[in-house]
Amino acid sequence: MSSAILEEKPEFTIPTGVFAETVTSVHHYTDRLFEFRITRPASLRFRSGEFMMIGLPNAEKPVFRAYSVASPSWDEELEFYSIKVPNGPLTEHLQKIKEGDTVLLRKKPTGTLVNDALLPGKRLWMLSTGTGIAPFASLIRDPETYEKFDEVILTHTCREVAELAYGQKLVAAVKDDPLVGEFAQGLKLYCTTTREDYPFRGRITDLMASGKIFDDLGVPPISSETDRGMICGSMEMLRDTKAALEGFGLVEGSNSRPNTFVVERAFVD
Amino acid sequence: MTYAVMDECIKYKYKDCIEGCLVGCFYQDEKMIVIKTEECIGCAVCETEYPVDVIKPDTIPDAAKWIAFNHKYIGFWPNISERDDLTADADDRADVPDKMAHLSKNLVQQ
Repeated sequence: MSSAILEEKPEFTIPTGVFAETVTSVHHYTDRLFEFRITRPASLRFRSGEFMMIGLPNAEKPVFRAYSVASPSWDEELEFYSIKVPNGPLTEHLQKIKEGDTVLLRKKPTGTLVNDALLPGKRLWMLSTGTGIAPFASLIRDPETYEKFDEVILTHTCREVAELAYGQKLVAAVKDDPLVGEFAQGLKLYCTTTREDYPFRGRITDLMASGKIFDDLGVPPISSETDRGMICGSMEMLRDTKAALEGFGLVEGSNSRPNTFVVERAFVD
Repeated sequence: MTYAVMDECIKYKYKDCIEGCLVGCFYQDEKMIVIKTEECIGCAVCETEYPVDVIKPDTIPDAAKWIAFNHKYIGFWPNISERDDLTADADDRADVPDKMAHLSKNLVQQ
């Protein structure tokens, strides 16, 4: 038997009801984090901040996981930001994708981390940890976010400094963007680390409780009159940050009942 | 994590839960909706969108009971992925007491 036959990958038919899209770029940030972009189906409509189900054509019944779309609704490609989980049923394989490979996408987007689920306000807080920054990568590139809010503050907390790179690169690019840059000049990025040395340290909930984050950013403490919140991170982070926003008088909303903050609970692990 | 529908849903059915579901794991008879818990991805969109607390995660104390309750009707009831017009009188049905008595017994035996 020749080695060419041994290396041949088995072909699986694409399941019905899913899009089969082509990888256009892959960028690895750390040994745990990577970003990839794929072609966008012409018929796909979604709202910035929503999530979809992603899989690979590597089995008769592929494993699908929920991923926030990191690109804005106007982008001609789709971007995703992913963790690499050792032996994770999807990410173990997904982390090996390269340009030209096929990624499967279930057809329906959904989610509550959207501008529609928030009442109008002055200042929008996007609070994230780890890959939870992905839906905000979409929302900070959508002009609608800046039409709805005068000030937009994105917070990103990670264990290590290198894990902050995706958000930092993104915010710098947004401000230079010909379409959104003009709107996004007031966008503030507040990065903190919990394990490595960095000018800003600590959990976002602790920094809100002490008031340090408000002093650092030069804004008044969160109030239900002016401030709106969106939260995306680990289950523990969601629970603690939700409690913190409720402590400031904010109330959780949804698409059917917009209010002063929303939470994303679909999280890859 | 998975989510399951509790008995307060019987004769209620606002159906805000269905529209956001990515995996189409809702099934219904004429009086109630249940979740196919094996297919549920635990995203909580249905729980967040639903106006009252009838959908709960498997982290509540008596979750196993509600997961089994939902599981019982899968295979008997048809799948539902979009709202239909059965929601019109949901408001009148919200506070019906003793809801288990209203579950259609004939449909269970199909």
